Amino acid sequence: MNVGFIGLGLMGRPMALHLERAGHALHLWARRPESLAPFAAVNARTHATPAEVAKHADVVIVMVADAPDVEKVCLGEDGLAATGKPGLIVVDMSTINPNAARSIGQRLAEKGIEFVDAPVSGGETGAINAALTVMVGGTPAAFEKVKPLLEKMGKSVTLIGDSGAGQVAKACNQILTGVGVLAVAEAFNFAARSGVDPAKVREALLGGFAYSKILENHGQRMLDRNFKPGFKAWMHQKDLRIVMEEAHRLGLMLPSAAATA
Amino acid sequence: MRLGFIGFGAMGKPMAEHLLRAGHELSVWSRRPASADFLLARGATWCASPAAVARASEIVCTNVTGSADVEALAGELAQGFSPGGIHLDFSTIAPDAARRIAAMYAGGGVDFVDAPVSGGSGGAQAATLSIMWGGKLCEAVSPGGTALATRLQPIFEVLGKTIVRVGEVGAGQVAKACNQMVMVAAIEACAEAARLAEAAGVDFAKVRSAMLGGSAGSRVLEVFGGRMAAREFAPGVEARLHHKDYALLMDEAVKIGVALPVSAAVWQQLNALMGSGWGRDDSSSLLRVLEAGTEPDPAR
Repeated sequence: MNVGFIGLGLMGRPMALHLERAGHALHLWARRPESLAPFAAVNARTHATPAEVAKHADVVIVMVADAPDVEKVCLGEDGLAATGKPGLIVVDMSTINPNAARSIGQRLAEKGIEFVDAPVSGGETGAINAALTVMVGGTPAAFEKVKPLLEKMGKSVTLIGDSGAGQVAKACNQILTGVGVLAVAEAFNFAARSGVDPAKVREALLGGFAYSKILENHGQRMLDRNFKPGFKAWMHQKDLRIVMEEAHRLGLMLPSAAATA
Repeated sequence: MRLGFIGFGAMGKPMAEHLLRAGHELSVWSRRPASADFLLARGATWCASPAAVARASEIVCTNVTGSADVEALAGELAQGFSPGGIHLDFSTIAPDAARRIAAMYAGGGVDFVDAPVSGGSGGAQAATLSIMWGGKLCEAVSPGGTALATRLQPIFEVLGKTIVRVGEVGAGQVAKACNQMVMVAAIEACAEAARLAEAAGVDFAKVRSAMLGGSAGSRVLEVFGGRMAAREFAPGVEARLHHKDYALLMDEAVKIGVALPVSAAVWQQLNALMGSGWGRDDSSSLLRVLEAGTEPDPAR
């Protein structure tokens, strides 16, 4: 399949390479040309604009930072919509506001382009190991078409619901991980200030009801005082901003997310 | 081993049964004698007082509710213990209370071990509890001699699968406080996620199953998230017990002067839960706190 891929950062680069390794022809555009370097030796063509990518691709995957970037790539000057033929499917794997996703989807639909939101969880490690969790919003028909691609990048691919539903699921995911990280930090600090070894606390907690991936992975990083990303903190802050925007729009009380954001 | 056991609630009952089944002699006492009948029928011995339990036992296990209950019991047990006796307390109490009790026993050569557990009544029944204990390295009567861990091992091994000596007396309670912070914050976060999904018109059951295998995966998402998705609010874990634990840990935070912003937000939600009369329901009722005051969805 001819697969467009836009957004070759920490996450996007290994994800695109998985697709190439699975035998797909890649069509790339990058804002920064140096991002294209790892693709010089593989079956990939680079293009001057997203519009050029859309001309050549059956499916375009977008993996950028935030809603304005997705909007620009899809609907901006020389964006995907400028040349995308009816039947093209755009899969946005970035984490953006659910409402923004729905709106971009509607505007692409006017051009006959199908939009699927498919944000991921699992971080750079998950991307490298093709072990991401992919949460999808879109029509069942579009989902079935892109599912084989998504399965090359993730180990769990779930259709959550209509357009935007993948982003809602991702927002839920970020509440759990964001609050989880802060709760573990609070607990370790509390233990240390009580004269108790946080490493022992982590060990004891892992066996009980407090077990979580966060306690296991981020907890260990806190003990090692290894604050290299992992997952960049500003990205998580952006994701929690999305959560609070939704809380505001829908009129929801989300106190622990608010304390974390 | 000659053991004593006091406190036959949702946790204590299955734990005492495991000890009997493992072949230990069990002496029991209860404020409500009828609550011990099931153990007497299985060969346990009734004692007239806590002191009598202590006289008959090498180690006395207790599993009651609050700091005051344990302190009062310890005062009575102290009258029966011989030097070398151990009071092994599984209750969740204040770290300071644990340290006070240990100091009270010290003159008599009796050890106090705080060994709160995590895993709920399910974990107690399946003997898969996580036991986090605080106590001296060696027993008080033979400093440099027998390790407390050695003497306690025959008990721990029939009750739990993760056994960690966290540190000195009180350290078990500190670890348990940490456990509750992490666990109940996860329940609250789960409730907020469920509330967001529901308000956005997305099926939380699907969101939950998508998240389970990923970086947001946790025991809480599995168990409490499942209850929220099914809207089953019967306990499980009675929310009033988590509420009690939060009072303890926030009190401790005041004493040692640490900021606990997420825990403080969770604490308020538990207060609201109690005020809504859901204290004897499951802690997944934190979802209902977030829904309170909103129009029920007629389609549900």
